[in-house]
Amino acid sequence: TKYIVPAGCPHVNGFKVDNWKQNLRVIYQCFVWSGSVESRKRKAKSCICHLCGAHLNRLHSCLYCVFFGCFTKKHIHEHAKNKRHNLAIDLLYGGIYCFVCQDYIYDKDMEQIAKEEQRKTLRSALVDCFVSCGLCDAGVGEKYSTWEPTKRELELLRHNPKRRRITTNCTIGLRGLINLGNTCFMNCIVQALTHTPLLRDFFLSDRHKCEMQSNSCLVCEMSQLFQEFYSGHRSPHIPFRLLHLVWTHARHLAGYEQQDAHEFLIAALDVLHRHCKDDNGKKANNPNNCSCIIDQIFTGGLQSDVTCQVCHGVSTTIDPFWDISLDLPGSSTPFWPLSPGGDGSTLNGESHLSGATTLTDCLRRFTRPEHLGSSAKIKCSGCHSYQESTKQLTMKKLPIVACFHLKRFEHSAKLRRKITTYVSFPLELDMTPFMASSKESRMNGQYQQSVDVFNNDNKYSLFAVVNHQGTLESGHYTTFIRQHKDQWFKCDDAIITKASIKDVLDSEGYLLFYHKQFLEYE
Amino acid sequence: MKMENMSLSGLDNTKLEALAQDIYSDLVEDACLGLCFEVHRAVKQGYFFLDDTDQESMKDFEIVDQPGVDIFGQVYNQWKNKECVCPNCNRSIAASRFAPHLEKCLGMGRNSSRIANRRIASSNNTNNKSESDQEDNDDVNDNDWSYGSEKKAKKRKSDKNPNSPRRSKSLKHKNGELSSSVNTDPYKYNYNTGINYETLGPDELRSLLTTQCGVISEHTKKMCTRSQRCPQHTDQQRRAVRVFLLGLSATSLPDSNTAVESDGYDASDGQVLMSRLQWDGSSDISPSDSASSKASTNNSDSKKPKKKKKTSLNSTGGGGGGSGSVGGSSSQGCLAGQANRKKPKLPVPPAPSIYDNLN
Repeated sequence: TKYIVPAGCPHVNGFKVDNWKQNLRVIYQCFVWSGSVESRKRKAKSCICHLCGAHLNRLHSCLYCVFFGCFTKKHIHEHAKNKRHNLAIDLLYGGIYCFVCQDYIYDKDMEQIAKEEQRKTLRSALVDCFVSCGLCDAGVGEKYSTWEPTKRELELLRHNPKRRRITTNCTIGLRGLINLGNTCFMNCIVQALTHTPLLRDFFLSDRHKCEMQSNSCLVCEMSQLFQEFYSGHRSPHIPFRLLHLVWTHARHLAGYEQQDAHEFLIAALDVLHRHCKDDNGKKANNPNNCSCIIDQIFTGGLQSDVTCQVCHGVSTTIDPFWDISLDLPGSSTPFWPLSPGGDGSTLNGESHLSGATTLTDCLRRFTRPEHLGSSAKIKCSGCHSYQESTKQLTMKKLPIVACFHLKRFEHSAKLRRKITTYVSFPLELDMTPFMASSKESRMNGQYQQSVDVFNNDNKYSLFAVVNHQGTLESGHYTTFIRQHKDQWFKCDDAIITKASIKDVLDSEGYLLFYHKQFLEYE
Repeated sequence: MKMENMSLSGLDNTKLEALAQDIYSDLVEDACLGLCFEVHRAVKQGYFFLDDTDQESMKDFEIVDQPGVDIFGQVYNQWKNKECVCPNCNRSIAASRFAPHLEKCLGMGRNSSRIANRRIASSNNTNNKSESDQEDNDDVNDNDWSYGSEKKAKKRKSDKNPNSPRRSKSLKHKNGELSSSVNTDPYKYNYNTGINYETLGPDELRSLLTTQCGVISEHTKKMCTRSQRCPQHTDQQRRAVRVFLLGLSATSLPDSNTAVESDGYDASDGQVLMSRLQWDGSSDISPSDSASSKASTNNSDSKKPKKKKKTSLNSTGGGGGGSGSVGGSSSQGCLAGQANRKKPKLPVPPAPSIYDNLN
């Protein structure tokens, strides 16, 4: 069908006179959008049908005068006819009804006002809530609105009827990668990145505006990569340009240097971050003043507290991180066995029955207080002398995507080996016990912190696992990635196959990628 | 029904049930109404048709889950003949051999510096020697990457000169090589062919050796210009070259262990922590320093070597000068015995004396 019904109507012109905008705002503020407890009460008490007293029944307010009438019983229609007031507003959703057209109409100016008022209301509602209950730490509650195509986009879409929707049974978004000669270390990371939801959304909605003069921008290449993955092509992609760009911008990685997937990830993120501009258009050279997409997604804050054993003064520093590297049992690091139980051991549903080390164990070990010993005294500013101290690491700020690096490769003066200890990792991970804030509560005497079921801030879901098969001398990288909620796929260079959740969870694990479950809009 | 305040306390269960039911059905009705408005608007604004998709072509994209084929229904290993064009030299290269080609093309390979020197030498003699000849030779020498040459490469390893730049990489890698001693500081990486020590006087050498690795390459006879933390060479090699070049007075030179960047000891690392800046936008550390891997206590040498940093000993903990960064990033001090370089462990000097020297 090619008809286009006009969305607006000419009958609003009679309304759009004098101070109509302000009047309309007041109507939205007082009678339609209610965020705070007070406004809800006011709306409930005052908004009732003037004829029958109903407060539901699709209550409408006249736009020309103070009259409420219900739609169901046609009381608002009566009013409109009697008074020749031909516009009314639905108090539940804010839609404008024209009695001449006998339909709801969508006027651009009026909708603009409606949106603005709604935004204001939501913001103040959250402040209210925060003040009164003091519990929620949620960000500004911006209402999610779906994408609306522009006129031009509609035109284009109408001319291209072969549209495909990406359903759960669709291969679009998945693609193999040719191995360019021992480049599986790069391929495995590319697969993880192209299946990072936020990153994907950023690039597919064309958010990168390139300001680099040459065409050596890695972010542009990344954008191109997403286009390739969503092109519908079935033959594997050849990422030669990507390799060239990464080697050009991260020389330490190139050629005969190390070919480690973790190294590649950090180097790639670094180059991407450098090539992104932050919102102010300045070159983002300072890692801590950047709001580029890489930092928004991957950067977390690691807090290090050094406590003097004598005066108990604490020196705190916070450093940014893109990944958490965890030592494993079987390495020559002092580690195991951990004391059984303690916080977090049953939190993530990992089984200790088999005696296998869990990711949570590794995190507990990572965040344990550590006595530094008499050979490592620090100069305490409180005591003005060298004292023994303990150090503890916790997460100050969690990134949206948390990457855990299991340190399986040991290179010491004496030996080089791969630690193949099985580490069990969960599909869902709660990072609460490892937060700096949790540590503070523990220190304040609140031990056995009960899990706050409603605090969703620290909950993560696994979405990619990079594995290394083989020995230190010769090995191969593959990646499991998650698509469409619960489908997993194995990416082995050019070959993409379906995998089961069991395949994923039974795998050895080298790099584990977790994504925050709940995101606040800003 | 007028809106009025109502107390729930006096009501029995039936009444409460009825109320709950009322509220529930109101909510459902409201939700349905909302959906109606959405559809209504989509139709009126003209974008309702977007919901329609082309079912026929959708079938082409269904996931295949059969043995022997990938999700696209394709048989494995049919991609041998893929080619690509090198962005550097514009030649058409087989995709599966692109990486080794690029390594040479960008002048980063093991043989590249030797070949580059040869090229320079020969171009000084004969100006009309074509470059393409050299390139072909490169390819012939390209046995780093082919799978079959593993044995050959291993043999070469054993008679390699300990001073060659590849000393620390004696193991041949295949696909997945594993992280050890890489300098992760992309800002600092300075790849050049090195300095000829024969052209320098003793004073120049002395000052050079305070900041650079200096190990002489057997191939090029040049000194390594990387930092004293250079992962390609060991501290033993560095000491040896200093003795060689400066004689006995070499022992008076600051050893890399007690030099400004003395981060090999727990004590100094503690200093760094105390004097580092707070992270409110002023940390010098970039996330690419892999902060967590350095911060975590470990006595294994499983991570990268430290980058060059200056420690300033500040008695005002927390705020002061902090560790300056060289080249834009500084490494985080780690309190563990940071024995993650390939060097023999030296005895820990008494703490106060090191700090007196530093600065």
